[in-house]
Amino acid sequence: MAPAAAAAAQPAPPSLSLPPSQFARLQPHAYLLAHLSPPPSSNQPSIRANGRAPSQFRVTSANTGSLTHTNGSAVVRLGDTTAVCGVRAEILHTEDIASWSVSRPTPASSSPTGNKRRKLTDSTAKLSAESENKEEDGDDESQIQDFSLLVPNLSLSTGCAPGFIPGAPPSALAQSLSHQILTLLHSTRLVRAEDLRIWYQPPNLGPEELERHNENEQMDVDAPQGEVDLEKNKEIKAFWVLYIDIMIISLAGNPFDAAWAAVLAALRDTKLARAWWDVDNEMVVCSDAVSEARKLSLRGLPISSTFCVFEADAASGWRAVVIPDAEEEKELDDSTRKGIQRRWVLADPDGYEEGLSQERICVVVDKEQDGKGKTVIMKLEKNGGWAVDTKELKTLVDISAQRWEDLKQILEQC
Amino acid sequence: MVGPTASLTPLSRADGSASYQCPSTGSNILGSVNAPIELPGRRDALRPEDATVEVFVKPGTAPGGVGERYVEGIIKNMLTKLILGREKGYARRGVVITLAIVGGESVGRGDSYLTLLPALLHTALLALLSASVPLSMTFSATVLAVDASGKITREPSPKEAATATSLHVFAFSSNGHLLLSESQGPFEFKTWENVHQRALAICHGTLARSSDGDVAMAEDVDGQPLEGALREVVEDKIHLDYAWKIDAP
Repeated sequence: MAPAAAAAAQPAPPSLSLPPSQFARLQPHAYLLAHLSPPPSSNQPSIRANGRAPSQFRVTSANTGSLTHTNGSAVVRLGDTTAVCGVRAEILHTEDIASWSVSRPTPASSSPTGNKRRKLTDSTAKLSAESENKEEDGDDESQIQDFSLLVPNLSLSTGCAPGFIPGAPPSALAQSLSHQILTLLHSTRLVRAEDLRIWYQPPNLGPEELERHNENEQMDVDAPQGEVDLEKNKEIKAFWVLYIDIMIISLAGNPFDAAWAAVLAALRDTKLARAWWDVDNEMVVCSDAVSEARKLSLRGLPISSTFCVFEADAASGWRAVVIPDAEEEKELDDSTRKGIQRRWVLADPDGYEEGLSQERICVVVDKEQDGKGKTVIMKLEKNGGWAVDTKELKTLVDISAQRWEDLKQILEQC
Repeated sequence: MVGPTASLTPLSRADGSASYQCPSTGSNILGSVNAPIELPGRRDALRPEDATVEVFVKPGTAPGGVGERYVEGIIKNMLTKLILGREKGYARRGVVITLAIVGGESVGRGDSYLTLLPALLHTALLALLSASVPLSMTFSATVLAVDASGKITREPSPKEAATATSLHVFAFSSNGHLLLSESQGPFEFKTWENVHQRALAICHGTLARSSDGDVAMAEDVDGQPLEGALREVVEDKIHLDYAWKIDAP
């Protein structure tokens, strides 16, 4: 190379070449572009500056049950982005809900659903029941949203990245991430309202005992009848409220995927104590036996994947003349794109790549029947540019479906 | 289908403003734009060659919360790409867009902003045009709801949106690019493609290319395409403002 030859000729010349790290800081766009489109003579493959292929995600690891004071917790690492999530359950008495007496469901309509679900133990039966129950429990599921039973909060003020000062008020990014997690929890209906209800079953003392005294042999026939009566008198006395706190302790791009994976892992880990209404003390009492605590039964496993678009032309967007019509652009294939028309869709962008791209795509997918069914999209978000259209989105949904398989394994192993 | 109504420059002190009503979703938005203005504090470190776009959304009945931050982020990300922030006089200055939700159903905690998003985007666009902020292209947006039977409802009312299985917001540029797509709720990609087609027809009409390469917007079941409706609002306003010149003999 020329600078090396010059150094050999003169004893101490000022170095004219820059180390790669300085080049990356001074000319970030040119640095990433040089990696993605190497000159044909160099025989190097097109690769991102961080060494990944365009559709490759970072190494992901998850660990659950790390925090002892929570009902469920998880640490998820996505490369250098780390999210810690803790789920704390607190009891909300129905007396404390202002709108409870107005919105209270009739016991007859709510209890059969609960009864049916309790009998189902294996997961296959639960899935088939879910499709049956979809219509009838739709009304009950609204309790989660109506009474704010899920309270996620995401904090970035931990010194996770140089731009975020520790102890500062929540930034706009942190607030919008909290909101995205909340809407996704609501729209995927991940947590079942039935898991969060604390019931009171009044003992049926009067007529049943009389019957038993009179005709002993008929007791077996009458017992189910009595059970149905009991079910009718059941009453919701309190709810569990889940406070889902997420701390991003290290931020190197793509906070949403890390935070959502942490929420998912923590909710899968969450155990709620057995709780019941004590009539004599008029309060909710919890059992401290770990064996009696039960896990939440979540609906599906929605996994999010984020992508960003890196454009070769740093000035596209403000140079109005170069924007072609959508029709013309569709005729351009990826292989025929040359020079400044080239663009790359990068999966799981790190902080460096996020700073260089504006167009973001976020896809949340789930697969029916535990991975064997078809892919269902829970959320699809794209804004900030026009590089990605129908065709590109279709490939991104396929990549996300692949990612679902990978992350499912990681979450099941932890 | 009753189309949206809009008026340009209802506010006299802002650089540009617009009010927008969508009868089917019931939203009523008032927006103002101030540009270019000097922003407090040094923002040179962020992007010295570009203008800073700031968006504020004020909900109608409640104080602003996390939902507003989220929708502000979406609008800002989309408009930053369209505003020619490097034009003369715009670099290192600010474009401040304020959108107030004046009427219609307010959005509760954890609800999606999707039903309001097209109205907010249209108001922002008209206010930017009214303030003569240079844009690389204009756009039109719509929201569609898909119910359990697969029926697509255009611009659903809040009640319809609550019962829908999935909600989709699309924004298309005047050149036909897909600028924004926000969808939520369980759906398959095929459904998305159908909704995308319908949204394109609502925004641009069924495109008919004439021999000289001009694209004509035709009317169909969805009535006048949104792109044309927005264009007419601006044309009417210009006609009114220049009446003294046009009508002069």
